[in-house]
Amino acid sequence: MPTHSIVVPALLAEVAPICDLVNVEAIAAGFDSRTSYACQLAVGEACENIIIHGYGKRASGQIAVTVHSVPGQLTVELADSAPPFNPAENQLGPPDPDNPRLGGLGLLIMHRVMDEIDYARRPDGNTLTMRKAQDLGIDP
Amino acid sequence: MDISREAYKRVTVITVKGRVDSSTADQFEAAVNDELKTGQRNLVFDLSEVDFLSSAGLRILVMSRKEAQKGSGVVRLAQPSDRVKETLEIAGLDVLFESFLSREEAIASY
Repeated sequence: MPTHSIVVPALLAEVAPICDLVNVEAIAAGFDSRTSYACQLAVGEACENIIIHGYGKRASGQIAVTVHSVPGQLTVELADSAPPFNPAENQLGPPDPDNPRLGGLGLLIMHRVMDEIDYARRPDGNTLTMRKAQDLGIDP
Repeated sequence: MDISREAYKRVTVITVKGRVDSSTADQFEAAVNDELKTGQRNLVFDLSEVDFLSSAGLRILVMSRKEAQKGSGVVRLAQPSDRVKETLEIAGLDVLFESFLSREEAIASY
């Protein structure tokens, strides 16, 4: 099954190419365009968090991206060497339309889109694994 | 990302095209702030050609709404693309913005 791995500098300009890779694998998984877009959005938010909050926009960091697809399921792994940050723990409550927040929207999107978000702290960095499944309507 | 502003009698239309994320949000925010500095509080965002809207772009839309409301203004959307609608729905913020099927209808609503 398709797996793509790339290592990119931790720069905001690199987020769009990562999203393009997610789109390729989401299509390979059989996802519809809406679900593919949602996955790109969630992965993009995770990458922006790493770049802005993890590395503090320092240009020296890198992100190792691995995207794996099987029919009906997409797995994205992001590995970095930034200080500890666990987005899997930062699940926010539902949005309040009467008092919409300006912060935390990226984490909210990640958790609303993805089925699973797992975090692991390595000695030299963080690994974030996100999974998304879509029912393709295929009988087993 | 491309951004332009067009002032009408009661409203200014801010047209955004392309990808709106953290790498382009500063440019978007600057355009909105420039418009708010003119005193205009009624804003229409024409988002028909936005093909990606991240939380960084959402934050500016929400900020614009808050600032507009302080001056009794209203922020509305003109023909938001499917991607814009999907981001708003995922974040649960679609209820904040009245949307119109055309730019002309949005302008005429003021």
